[in-house]
Amino acid sequence: MPPASFSLVSVSIRLMSFFLDSFIAACRLAWSLDPELLTIVRVSLAVSCLATVFAALAGIPAGFAIAHGRFPGKRIVITLLNTLLALPTVVIGLFVYVFISRRGIFGPLDLLYTQQAMIIGQFILIVPLITALTIAAISRVDERYRKTAKTLGANGWQTALVVLREGRFGIAAAVISAFGRVISEIGISMMLGGNIKGFTRTMTTAMALEYDKGSFTLAVALGLVLMAISLGMNVLFNLIQGRSGR
Amino acid sequence: MMLYVLDRIIQRYADRVVLDIDHLAIEAGGIHALLGPNGAGKTTLLNLLAFLEAPAGGTMLFQGQPVTYTAKNVLPLRRRVVLVDQHPIMFSTTVSSNIEFGLNIRKVEKTARQRIVDEVLATVGLSRYRDARAHELSGGETQRLALARALALAPEVLLCDEPTASVDAENQAIIVDLLQRINADRGTTIVFTTHDRLQATALAGYTLVLEGGRLATTTYENSYACTLLPQADGGVRCRLREGVEIAVPTPPPLPTMATTGRVTIGPQGISLCRIDPLPCPETADRVIGTIVLLMAEGEYIRVVVNVGVLMVVLMDRARYAALRPAIGETMLLRFATESLVFFPDSSSP
Repeated sequence: MPPASFSLVSVSIRLMSFFLDSFIAACRLAWSLDPELLTIVRVSLAVSCLATVFAALAGIPAGFAIAHGRFPGKRIVITLLNTLLALPTVVIGLFVYVFISRRGIFGPLDLLYTQQAMIIGQFILIVPLITALTIAAISRVDERYRKTAKTLGANGWQTALVVLREGRFGIAAAVISAFGRVISEIGISMMLGGNIKGFTRTMTTAMALEYDKGSFTLAVALGLVLMAISLGMNVLFNLIQGRSGR
Repeated sequence: MMLYVLDRIIQRYADRVVLDIDHLAIEAGGIHALLGPNGAGKTTLLNLLAFLEAPAGGTMLFQGQPVTYTAKNVLPLRRRVVLVDQHPIMFSTTVSSNIEFGLNIRKVEKTARQRIVDEVLATVGLSRYRDARAHELSGGETQRLALARALALAPEVLLCDEPTASVDAENQAIIVDLLQRINADRGTTIVFTTHDRLQATALAGYTLVLEGGRLATTTYENSYACTLLPQADGGVRCRLREGVEIAVPTPPPLPTMATTGRVTIGPQGISLCRIDPLPCPETADRVIGTIVLLMAEGEYIRVVVNVGVLMVVLMDRARYAALRPAIGETMLLRFATESLVFFPDSSSP
């Protein structure tokens, strides 16, 4: 065997064994419920869940109102929302930073490098997403549901609830994809949270740091947890959908 | 007592007049059929009667009270009238939850709700599906469930849009029977639309005909789309299809530039004449057709003639005995002037 290809094979084997070692160590770390790993996961989940809840509370009614409203400039609003879907996280990070840094107008609130700052940033990131997907979900609901609810005696609110119920899978999908977006983002968490250990260190910022340090074990372990969360969310969504009989 | 009185009611969709009713009064307690071809404005009228839409113009009285279209005024009215759609849609819940929807809104307590659900499901013959998912029912069953959902609310008026148009013969019979029972047992006023004249006469005590958004005095039979052809002598002929033309006798209080519309021909105003061996008198219209159906209908004989379109002729028994038309025979049709009515297509005002 020529020496060049021998060295290539040997490098490949060494690289693979390195990843395998990291993977096994990561599995062990995740399995042993390492306190540092748990703190990071807890912070990530707390921040992203709260951001998603607030964004859903704002985005679902907004989407509903835009879908059903008849007002001039509706198309412009929808186009604007769709444009905001492509907003990079670092731009939001920068934008919020301007407001909450010491010299910003909300500087005295001392929000910079806190979980609240991360929640604000993530909220801004996914409100357009939830709104736009809610508009799409509500627009797909058959118009006859509205008419039926009204003729059966429903008032405006009760009719709206019927339409929301019939569009619930589209809306649930909107919320789940929004959660997926924030749990995996890094720009906002890094710029507004500052990656402070035990306080604002999330799964993604920790992974970036561990990568910088060249220590892959924790990074891979966090990657595994992130994938598991994503899988869990999808399984949950499928379960809800399956139960509906659709 | 008049339930509804409509005066000069106009409805427009995007500047197109779809309904233009000068005066219409609907009596309480009866079964009313609303006949007319597709696009005649039947569904629009039902939506108005169900208070789901406000008219673009005119006044409507419900039980003698003028209807004002503010959310606050319309909601109580809407709770006394239920509309069942042509293709009813069920909420994605169970059969019983669908029925309970309107009862929940009216804050009926649980035990009463359960009793009503059982009652109406038994009425429409769907008791075994009580806990099934509503979306799993067939088309005919869905139509019956929609009736049950409406009945549960004990409305004063039940409006049905083409209740039997999209169901099989068995379900049609069940639904017709149901509507009669609802009217007889509960005294509910029923207004339903159909384009089946026989069903209308069999079921309804009162029949209204809509043509091009207007109330017509015709019986909704022999109603055809037609194109107007002005003649050199100043008369106007109406082409039903290629090769089938008849003179429109009362030209024109026709609106300017109307070239299309519908013509109805009263079935008693058509007489048949055997071409051979007796020559028919000369007439302006030479419409010739083949007899395809003969049917006894009370004092009359219904003769359906294929002239390129199917045309119904009602002849009394004496005339039938004299003529003895046979199926497959070719005959000449003559039209009495007063039996033809032309409705121009609705256009922008």
